[in-house]
Amino acid sequence: MEAYVGEYASGKSEIAINRALELRDQGRIVTLVDLDTVEPFYTLRSLKPLLEEKGLQVISFSKQDAFGLGETGAMLNPRARWALRHSGDIILDVGYGVYGARTLNLVEGAYESQELRVIAVINYSRPITGTRECIREYILDLGRVDAIVSNTHLGSDTNAEIIEAGNTEIMHVARELSIPVDFIAVEETFKDSMGLNISGIPIKYIHRYMPAAMW
Amino acid sequence: MEKVFNEAKKAFMTGNETAAWAALAAGAEVMFGYPITPQNEIMHYWTRLAPKYGREFLQTEDEISAGFTVCGAVQGGKKAFTATAGPGNVLMQEPFGMAEAMRLPMLSIIQQRGGPSSGTVVYSQQEVTLTTFGGNGEGHRIVYSTATHQEIYDYVIKGFNTAWKYRFPTFILGDGYQAKMREPLELYSPEDKGIKMVDTYPLIGLPGHIGDGRDPQHLCNIYSLEEELYEVVMRVSAEYESISPELVEYQERECDDAEIIIISHGVVSRAADDAVTALRAQGLKIGCFRPITLRPFPAQELRNVIQKSGAKKILIAESAYGQLFRLVRQEIYGETVPIDTLFMPGVGIIDYDIMNKIKSML
Repeated sequence: MEAYVGEYASGKSEIAINRALELRDQGRIVTLVDLDTVEPFYTLRSLKPLLEEKGLQVISFSKQDAFGLGETGAMLNPRARWALRHSGDIILDVGYGVYGARTLNLVEGAYESQELRVIAVINYSRPITGTRECIREYILDLGRVDAIVSNTHLGSDTNAEIIEAGNTEIMHVARELSIPVDFIAVEETFKDSMGLNISGIPIKYIHRYMPAAMW
Repeated sequence: MEKVFNEAKKAFMTGNETAAWAALAAGAEVMFGYPITPQNEIMHYWTRLAPKYGREFLQTEDEISAGFTVCGAVQGGKKAFTATAGPGNVLMQEPFGMAEAMRLPMLSIIQQRGGPSSGTVVYSQQEVTLTTFGGNGEGHRIVYSTATHQEIYDYVIKGFNTAWKYRFPTFILGDGYQAKMREPLELYSPEDKGIKMVDTYPLIGLPGHIGDGRDPQHLCNIYSLEEELYEVVMRVSAEYESISPELVEYQERECDDAEIIIISHGVVSRAADDAVTALRAQGLKIGCFRPITLRPFPAQELRNVIQKSGAKKILIAESAYGQLFRLVRQEIYGETVPIDTLFMPGVGIIDYDIMNKIKSML
């Protein structure tokens, strides 16, 4: 059980999707949960059919679930509330920045679970996590963080220098705070151009699914 | 005031966050606001950033108050702004009207959402009419419609300067998609790009005595006589019309020999741009025209494009049921080129939507 938390545009959804598919490719049963209560119809909705086709179970609202509450009701998908009771692997994509991380308390068993890990996705290309001090302050604001994913990118403008600069800073803060870095995420197009990984932390090459999510 | 960026840097963020950083870089001193989707994160990020840079924030009791507090702050010489959407934009029309009447340098960021009425929080381009002509009476305002995060950044900075230079309320018109979408952009301090920020100055409480060294600073939004109002409206209208040629902004592409010209604004113009690329690759003579200022509207520029291209048709594409269409039609009155429309109220428009429509028009 893994819950991905982090700032807007840090890459939570992309990492959660890639992680879920990675586990699925190992033959495991995986449920991916959209846990954005503020924008419950946005994040994974338009990708749901594609991800289900790839063998994931996806807990996310669909168009036919919309019932006209608009902003008058912050909605928790009832199936998301009980997501941790599913068998198999559970990946939670927790939306809405620092405040979103607190949404976890709506998921039954989240704080009691011995298996759930809260993983912060950090993108150094965002000014709010764009310096060592900012990253440290941000992670401390998040509350419980069991691990970090280093995910520095600039969307279509990413280059190897910015990835490496981000990794250096994020790794430094992780060491200071004694939080393990689970992996370094790098877009798959950089497979051949990344330098030698001397940190000993695994690199995972990710495919970008989110650009297809035109709401 | 502390420089926000010592050197230009690339960043990856949402449009709302971009607006907050731009206001910070532009030297905004205070934001007044009231929460409403989809502009909330402008406030969220401003409130996170403001204390670190010695700036201020006040959450007022509603949008009417947020608008009027900006009216007050700018009269005191503060570089102040607000942001809103939908029904908040409706409520703010009263303070916007005051800003029009009193010529207040007020900057407002509008992230359009769907309507009619209150609770629909998602994307649309349905606030064009309200944002360009929403005031009571006949006031004047300047409205920039952005299409990318880089433009949100650039035009928020520019918008403060426009407001303080010309003293007309100025609007940055985005939408729910631009607010929430993530994309890369360059952040910079204006002075590093050769942009001089217009100095702010108090409009009231000036030194000296009225009649003894200075004239009264008559900031007025009430008149007792019809003739008084007539004179003011005529004077301000003439002034606005005289500065309009230097304010209008637009983009045109592939229009010289275009048989069909696509007109769109804001985020939809990105789809039009992609459609032109794809249709040209297929050998079709298609061009596009995008007003950046919706008010003042680049009317003469659009007429010129219609004339030089000899276009047989125009297609107006918008995520609304005819708000840009009405604006364009009134601005190019007298042109005889037939206008076709692609209205998708509340729905995003992609290149294929436009391409399919164009093919049905051939």
